[in-house]
Amino acid sequence: MIHFSEATKKEAERLIARYPEGKQKSALIPLLHLAQDEFGGWLSPDAMDYVAGLLKLEPIEVYEVATFYSMFNLKPVGHYVFEVCQTGPCMLRGSDAIIDYIKSTLQIGVGETTRDGMFTLKTVECLGACGYAPMMQLGNHYREHLTKEKVDAIIQECRTNAAKNN
Amino acid sequence: MGRKLLLEKAHVEGIRYFDVYRKEGGYRSVEKALKTMSPDQVTEEVKKSGLRGRGGAGFPAGMKWSFLAKPEGVPRHLVCNADESEPGTFKDRYLMEFLPHLLIEGLIVSSYALGSNDTYIYIRGEYAWIVDILEQAITEAENNGFLGKNILGSGFDCMVHVQRGAGAYICGEETALLESLEGKRGNPRIKPPFPAVKGLWDRPTVVNNVETIAAVVPIINDGGEEYAKIGVGKSTGTKLISACGNINKPGVYEIDMTNSVEEFIFSDEFCGGIPNGKKLKACIPGGSSVPILPANLLLKTAKGETRMMNYESLSDGGFATGSMMGSGGFIVFDEDQCVVRNTLTLARFYRHESCGQCSPCREGTGWMEKILHGLEYGKGKMSDIDLLWDIQRKIEGNTICPLGDAAAWPVAAAIRHFRDEFEWHVNNPEEAQRRNYGLAHYADPIHVPA
Ligand SMILES: Cc1cc2nc3c(=O)[nH]c(=O)nc-3n(C[C@H](O)[C@H](O)[C@H](O)COP(=O)(O)O)c2cc1C
Ligand code: SF4
Ligand code: FES
Repeated sequence: MIHFSEATKKEAERLIARYPEGKQKSALIPLLHLAQDEFGGWLSPDAMDYVAGLLKLEPIEVYEVATFYSMFNLKPVGHYVFEVCQTGPCMLRGSDAIIDYIKSTLQIGVGETTRDGMFTLKTVECLGACGYAPMMQLGNHYREHLTKEKVDAIIQECRTNAAKNN
Repeated sequence: MGRKLLLEKAHVEGIRYFDVYRKEGGYRSVEKALKTMSPDQVTEEVKKSGLRGRGGAGFPAGMKWSFLAKPEGVPRHLVCNADESEPGTFKDRYLMEFLPHLLIEGLIVSSYALGSNDTYIYIRGEYAWIVDILEQAITEAENNGFLGKNILGSGFDCMVHVQRGAGAYICGEETALLESLEGKRGNPRIKPPFPAVKGLWDRPTVVNNVETIAAVVPIINDGGEEYAKIGVGKSTGTKLISACGNINKPGVYEIDMTNSVEEFIFSDEFCGGIPNGKKLKACIPGGSSVPILPANLLLKTAKGETRMMNYESLSDGGFATGSMMGSGGFIVFDEDQCVVRNTLTLARFYRHESCGQCSPCREGTGWMEKILHGLEYGKGKMSDIDLLWDIQRKIEGNTICPLGDAAAWPVAAAIRHFRDEFEWHVNNPEEAQRRNYGLAHYADPIHVPA
């Protein structure tokens, strides 16, 4: 059985306490974020069942929420997920070229993961960074004003970090 | 140089932290409101200010507040809409990232007016780092006695909580937001009942945009009447515009709504003109949902008057020849851009974001995307253009929430003003397929004097 670390459990309790008695279901989305971060970047059925248990919900109540929101990954993803915005304002500043460049550099299509499990490429819709386009989300941060050179540097940075952490 | 009310202090070193913010005059409105005014007096000032909701619809904030039901013994809530997902819009992010205390200050005063002891900020999930910034600001405010129990000895208790969404544009719609805040799918509710009567957990609730709440601070500090003197007509105060697309200086600008559109695009104080000497082709002035306007109708109304950056002027001419202020997401197109391709990206956006509850929206958005895809990639027919027009018309007004309209309007406006480009795609299928990245070599750009 999977479970949260002590620190994460504490954070979950803090989040649940923000809602009135009997309204604990409101903590569901915040807890799914915690679970996704803690359990390898995606929500397995086990992870979702675990969250259901914490909030005393039926598992189906968790599945129906997890499937609605695009930030929740329902299958495994690579270590680093490039989420490149492709909506109008980014398109005006060349996001199509950036997406093509990442595809050819990493040799993967949109929605795919490199064979070494390092990178996943996703396209996403407007992330509220249109003035700093083209852009992508990487983890909890944005990478903005992308160019091919910047993409190369980000890929290198990820590889270096991964090597350090091993 | 226009007057700044919100961003005046944005560049003060360390303004993100309580001590600096306080030294710069922060939290005065909380002292004034809680010590010298009743909640109804606060609401009265907001009414006098003429402040209109900054989330997109422009509904008068004071009036919304006065609709809040106040049944005995039932808690009420203020919910701050920080979902900001309308393409072209990134102003709330700027406010929260650089001036988190301005939002918290506004939330305390507004919560006092509305009687909300637990106030929630619902922020889009992707703004993960801003959650930390806001939580830090909340902790600082609490440590300094501006949040928590018995604030400044007034007897008023208030706590602000930050809730992250998880990637769904529809959760910006206020009832979908409330569903999401309750831990459910973001399916908009059928109205009535309105949130003012039955909102979060069936309790009376006011939902306001980040910028609306921030504007309450200068309104209380200076008085509603002073605030109403800024701007023109029913466009009172200042408005944040997030400018993007083909301009030299994309970014967030605070305007007092007295500038012309031309000045906003071409002057160095704002967008700084179009890069590489290109001509202005078109603009979506208020976020992706509002009608796109070709340059001639953008700079001058159909009556030949100068188009100004305010609510009334931007909507002059209705949807036939005007547009809307909307959320203030200002998207500029240079002469190389392809309207068909842009419309396709927006149609895809709305298809992706439709919650799927109503068939006109669920089926219609997908159908429009498919047709636009065909047109863009050289597989379109002339009759497709009329079909698109027909579909958008049948979505508009026939759905539970306004996302259906928001999906229909951009398609309608693109066909209305740029039908020739759609026809070009049909007549030149091979070139349309060969073309990369929407370079509209064929379009004869509307000439605009520099
Ligand atoms: C599909 C859709 C998306 C919306 N997204 C947002 C949003 O991201 N932020 C926002 O403040 N309002 C958004 N709104 C408007 C809200 O429903 C609501 O009117 C607004 O938050 C009220 O705040 P205001 O009166 O202060 O503008 C959206 C509306 C619709 C129909
Ligand atoms: S209009 Fe679209 S987004 Fe709104 S409720 Fe209907 S299906 Fe959902
Ligand atoms: S369109 Fe890409 S961030 Fe808005």
